[in-house]
Formats: sequence, structure tokens, C-alpha cells
Amino acid sequence: MKKKNVISFALFIITLAVLPHLVSGYWQRVLTQTFLFASIAVGSNIIIGYTGYPAFGNIAFFGVGAYVTGVLTTKYNMAFVATLPFCALSGIVLAILLGIPILRLKGHYFAIATVGVMETIKELIDNMTELTGGGLGLTLPIMQGEPEHIYRFFYYAMLLCMLFALLLSYVISKVKLGYALRAIRVDEDAASVMGINTPLYKTFAWALSASAVGIAGGIYAYWLSYIDPHTVFVGTYSVKMFAMILLGGAGTVMGPLLGAFTLELISELIWSKFIAIHGMVLGLLIIFIILFIPKGMFETFKGGFSFRKLLTNLRENSL
Amino acid sequence: MALLEIKNLNAGYGDLRVLRDVSMEVNEGEIVAFLGSNGAGKSTFMRTIVGLNRAWSGDVIMNGKRLTNSPSEKIIKSGIGIVPEGRRLFAGMTVTENLEMGAYCNRKDIRRRMDSIFQSFPRLYERKDHLAGDLSGGEQQMCAIGRALMSEPKILLIDEFSLGLAPTVVDSLTKVVQDINRQGVSILIVEQDVQMVLEMSSRAYVMEVGAITISGNSKDLIDNPKIKEAYLGM
Repeated sequence: MKKKNVISFALFIITLAVLPHLVSGYWQRVLTQTFLFASIAVGSNIIIGYTGYPAFGNIAFFGVGAYVTGVLTTKYNMAFVATLPFCALSGIVLAILLGIPILRLKGHYFAIATVGVMETIKELIDNMTELTGGGLGLTLPIMQGEPEHIYRFFYYAMLLCMLFALLLSYVISKVKLGYALRAIRVDEDAASVMGINTPLYKTFAWALSASAVGIAGGIYAYWLSYIDPHTVFVGTYSVKMFAMILLGGAGTVMGPLLGAFTLELISELIWSKFIAIHGMVLGLLIIFIILFIPKGMFETFKGGFSFRKLLTNLRENSL
Repeated sequence: MALLEIKNLNAGYGDLRVLRDVSMEVNEGEIVAFLGSNGAGKSTFMRTIVGLNRAWSGDVIMNGKRLTNSPSEKIIKSGIGIVPEGRRLFAGMTVTENLEMGAYCNRKDIRRRMDSIFQSFPRLYERKDHLAGDLSGGEQQMCAIGRALMSEPKILLIDEFSLGLAPTVVDSLTKVVQDINRQGVSILIVEQDVQMVLEMSSRAYVMEVGAITISGNSKDLIDNPKIKEAYLGM
């Protein structure tokens, strides 16, 4: 990492750390939500961006994480913080079990299979009424204290979750595993004749990705204090997550973070005024990304922003 | 004793049987040519050896160890290096990174190995920070051979050695391959330029519709009327 990058990243984090003392409760909530999506996008980028496996249904781990916290706090009276390791664990175990069959698929097939997995898990949870409350949902214990204190608690919890995802993703990009994943993304056959145990590494990547997404789910559940299958297994979150990763730049450490912040803040500033065409704007944005910045903002604007780059991309990527 | 021994190998795709009881061997220090027209099953054969294709039956034995249908990484670790058909470089990575990937299993004194590859291919050294996808065909082939050598294999499988390369490039690559062979690496080479490959190899096998039909010393095969007919159009 260059010194300049380290300094600007440190400044960014410090700003985020002091911000709750300066802004209103509304903006604290917006930022908490942004950190949530950043955690999901950065975590999912490990399998989607680094490894090249479009895990469209990665939100499944988010939902499961949410339910792990939900069930453990309500049925087993565990403290919220103590449930988080279990959220990560649930993601890891589930990704390993699912990865063995599903990671044999590639491209669209894999993407569709993950969506299937997500829907299946959602149905299962919907029907495990005794444990999860089924369609009635699950009411988590509400955190005690001043509202302001609670806002800040979740703000920092989500911020930490995001930093955890970033750290995970940064470390992976620097170690041997990261190189293996890159090789798998470019050419899996070639990677395996380099002596890379591709099934193992793919599963590993998915498990790590799932752990970050699972923790985000756990925090989300406690934050919302009420969950049902439809609020945590949300298809549009998958779309959003994907748009963030693509917008920022798949396969880069900071790209998904950049994508999450851009998209969430845009959504807050503009979409909240045009709630009816919310989906249309998202769709248009994805088309825009594919046409003008297919490599994501991070790669495209490394050397500074320019419209010329957008036009060059449009010419080179025209169908 | 044979270094790499293939016994009655059968393999295919779906219901289609491509390899029919293929048996062959490569001894230590040999260059063996593997000939066959398009669709004969040469690439399937190569892929099956390194575990990218499932073998239906038969044995792949390396150094006395049976490796049939082992995971690729295990096969590579046993000392087989492959230059796959179409080179299959990691396009978004630099030449240096591609070579590093080749040493994935064994990263001890990676620098020394890389230096020796740059010595064999000075051109690659000039291009070491370029993306592999931006190289010319000849340079890509050098990079692919270099990458395969980074795992210090005992035997190097080269699929479609001269495909799409200018004759002068092929000549210089041939010299390098012979050098590598002199350093003790056995070579199994798939090639369409029969004349050239028979001159550089000591033995050869000819595959037709999935079965080996002719085999013998390369010198004898150069004059074999069937080969002349099939490949040289004479």
C-alpha cells in the first residue's frame, strides 16, 4: 500500500468515527445502512470479484446470520455480541456445505443456483415456526438505553463490521490465497494445472465471504429488533449488492466500498424523492455502469476522473 | 524404467469415447513426439493425463505412482508440467506474475528459477512487467513454457507447440526446448509440423481416431510411407 493511500484511508475512518457526534440521528441511520451494504458488498466481493463466481444469492448468508442472532438472543438468552461469532460460523458452515455441490457450476448457472439456495433457505425458515416464528417473525430483545446511545452503538457496530470485511478482503488480496483466486477467475483449468487446489480454494473463498455477510446480518437483526423471512432474505438487496460491486470495481479491495457509498448516498439524496421509480433508476444505473465503466470506478478513474474515459469505454465495449 | 507411463487409457465426453486403450511411455531424458490430425484426441489425451478430464479406465503412472483421476494439483506436484493448448496464460497478470503462478506449489528459491527462465527466454525478461494478454503469440508461448517450468517438472507436456507461430519463432523455441531437455527434463510434445518434430524427438507416437496406430523411433518414422501420406501430402 502506498503511503498516500494509507493516510487517506485513515482520514476516512477517523472522519467516520467522529461523525456521529456531529450529525443528526437521521444521517447516523443513513450511514449505518451504508456500512451495512458496504459490509455485504465488500464481503461478497471475495467470491464475486476475486474468484469470479457470481454468487447472486449471497444475501442467503445475511438472512441466516440475522436468524442466528434472532434465535440465540430470544430462545437461548445469549448476549447480542456473543452471537456474532455464531453468525460468522453459520455462514462458513453453510458455504462449505453448499459449496461442495454448487461451486462445480460456473457463470450464470452458479448465479441461478445461489438464488435457488437463498429461496430454499427462506422457505425453510418460514416453515420452522417453532424455532424462527415462521411468517410471524421474531421479535428480538430491544436494546436498553437512550435513543442517541443506541443509534451510536449500531453505527459503530456496523462500522466495525465493515472494517472487518475490508480487513479480510485486504489480507486475502495480499496472501497466497488471493493469487490463487485471481488465477481461478481468469482461467480455472489453467489454475488447476498450476497445482492450485481449485475446489478447496473456491470453497474457502465463499466461506470467508459468507462469514462477513453473516455478521452483517446478525447486527442488522438486532438493529431492526424484528425480523421475518421477507425482511432479511431480500432479492433486491442482491441486486443492490451486485450493482455496488460492479460500480466500484469487482476484484479490487476498495471498489465495493466506493460503490456502496456512492449508491447508498445517491439513493438517499435522490431516490427518496422519487420512490416510485426507485427500481427504474437502479436498472438505468446498472446499464450505465456496464456501458461506461465496466471495470468499475476504482479501476477506471485511478488516474483521475475524465469524461473521455467514459466515451472510450463506450466505444470499446459496444455490442 | 519409464518416467511417465500410460496404460490402456480410455476417456471421452458424455457418451462419446475419444481415447481408445491408449498406451505409451516417456523415459527419463527423452523427447517424445505425439502426432495426430485434428480431432484425433491429442488434446483430450493431454488433458486426461493432468486430470482436467476424467479417465474412464486405464492407468496414468508417474515415477511408479498411479495418478489416474487424481486432482490436478497432485499430478502437478508429482513432477508433470503442462503447456496447455492455446497457452491459457493469465491474461490480466504480468509475465512475472504468470511465472510466479507457475511456482504456486513450491515457492522455494523462486527467484533462482525465474532467473534461469529469463536466461532461456531473454525476450520474456524485457517484457516482464507487461500483461500476458498483450504479448505476441511467440512471447505468449515462451511465457507458457516458462510458467510450466517454474514448478521444476521432471516431464513437460507441450500441447500444440508451434500453433500460430512464425517459422523463425518456432526455430528458436525448438532450440530452447532442446536445451531444457538437455538439463534433464523429459518432454512430450504434441505437434502438427511432423517434419520438425520428428527431427527433434527421439521417439514418436501417431494417434488416429483415439487410438495409437503407429509408434517407433522418430528417425524411422520420417520415412514411413503412411506418415508421409497422412501428414506431408506426399
